[in-house]
Amino acid sequence: MNLLNYVPGDSFLHKLNPVIKLAAAFMYGVAAILCNNVLGEVGFIVLMILISYSSGLGDRAVRLTKTLIIIGMLMFVIQLLFVRSGDPLLVIAGFCVFTTGGLISALLLSLRVVAAMLPLMLLFAITQMNDLCNALVKKAHLPYRYAFIVTTAFRFVPIFTTEFHDIQDAQKARGVDFDTKNIIRKMQLIAPLCVPLLVSSLKKVDNSAMSAEMRGFALRTIKSGYKDYPFTWRDIAVVLVLAALIIFSVLFLK
Amino acid sequence: MIRFENVSFGYTRERETIKNLSFHIKKGEFVALIGANGAGKSTISRLTNGLLQPTGGHVYLNGKDTQTTPSSVLAKDCGFLFQNPDRQICENTVRDEIAFSMKAQGWPKDKIYEHVNAALETFSLDPEWFPFSRSRGERQRIALAGVLACEPGLLILDEPTTGLDYLECTHIMDYVTKLNQEKGITVLMVSHDMELVQSYARRVLVLNHGTLMGDGPTNQIMKDAPLLKSARVLPAQIPELALRFGDRFRDIYTVEGMFAALYSMNINVEEGD
Repeated sequence: MNLLNYVPGDSFLHKLNPVIKLAAAFMYGVAAILCNNVLGEVGFIVLMILISYSSGLGDRAVRLTKTLIIIGMLMFVIQLLFVRSGDPLLVIAGFCVFTTGGLISALLLSLRVVAAMLPLMLLFAITQMNDLCNALVKKAHLPYRYAFIVTTAFRFVPIFTTEFHDIQDAQKARGVDFDTKNIIRKMQLIAPLCVPLLVSSLKKVDNSAMSAEMRGFALRTIKSGYKDYPFTWRDIAVVLVLAALIIFSVLFLK
Repeated sequence: MIRFENVSFGYTRERETIKNLSFHIKKGEFVALIGANGAGKSTISRLTNGLLQPTGGHVYLNGKDTQTTPSSVLAKDCGFLFQNPDRQICENTVRDEIAFSMKAQGWPKDKIYEHVNAALETFSLDPEWFPFSRSRGERQRIALAGVLACEPGLLILDEPTTGLDYLECTHIMDYVTKLNQEKGITVLMVSHDMELVQSYARRVLVLNHGTLMGDGPTNQIMKDAPLLKSARVLPAQIPELALRFGDRFRDIYTVEGMFAALYSMNINVEEGD
């Protein structure tokens, strides 16, 4: 979970307007998706890591990249086995396992996943969810209700994690053996963990809704926020640079 | 039954919650752990049944080292009632819920059936109830029934009466006391409620910042105001009164003793006042 935590800082990236951070992460992702070149994708990933180092998030970016590469591997295997264009590359006993076309498209797709996801994941490191939510309401005129859903969902993750551990402890204390090697038994053990979690989550949601209602949630308007999120020269510069990056990606990285 | 030998434990590497703690609880005792918030009471109860592993020293439960025996095996000797019954309730009917622990511990079917029926009767529960929609007190009772149906030799109660009304609380505690006296079950209770400790426990361990400040019979510990104060625990008012009266009125915990004390001060009260 700590891969998505906010990292306090005072860098160029931290100072951007939260709405622009979100837009920039998306634009970077679009540029990476439009790119049709394996080396280009590698370039996008390296560039993102370099940008992260400039704002003190290098370690985080490297760790995220490693995690995303695991997801990318899955895509790689699927693409490799199912895309059948180009010349056969590996033939075992007369059966073609994968082809050149498959290899290239698998590499491209898996790297593309990493390159497009990385900026969005890094967004969490440089933005506090509350800021993002408030800025979206103020600048992008998103209804507060929806912005609130997003921030709440993130805020509840650590709460559910502790709850899950407590439930696991409670079931262990009743004699449930979670370390069993038997896979069928392991599947059966999901129920005693998930049912209490579900029940307590639903109760928590009800209570939170009531407490939000009590504190005048429905009365909230755009003007209720104290902080203002003005756009500055930095924001305009970032948008222009990323627009240029998208054009470059379309024109030169075919 | 339970032996702590120079046990240390910390949730983080920097700060130790339990520091070099040693004590021994014999079979058939009714022990209460008291202390302020964060003194390490719940940690001790979790160390006892192997949910937490000590970072130093050893914990023995029935002679088994908790570090080498998994919790699921220790659970056969040790019933654990949590503060919040919702963490363990996971079946659709009370009958299945009570049978759950026994099934998990691999009991034979006819024995499970027998024990479930006995538990249902003792706790006056309806086997077809949907546990999640019952009241807090009833859910706690269902959880306790499930724990006790396995007939553990040791019962650990982690703040068992939080959120229960007085009647539910006495129900549960009276039943636990009965088991303790008749069947010789060892009880280890963690509680903030000094009245409860005073009324039920026979031995008290006082904890402060993970060290044992006091260990002795309930009456003796409860009268030791400096000790309780240094452990940041507020004694129950009636024992406090007894302390002020001195040794003359040892029985002030009982209604009769209280009356005797009041009479001696020429305060005339009638029952019903």
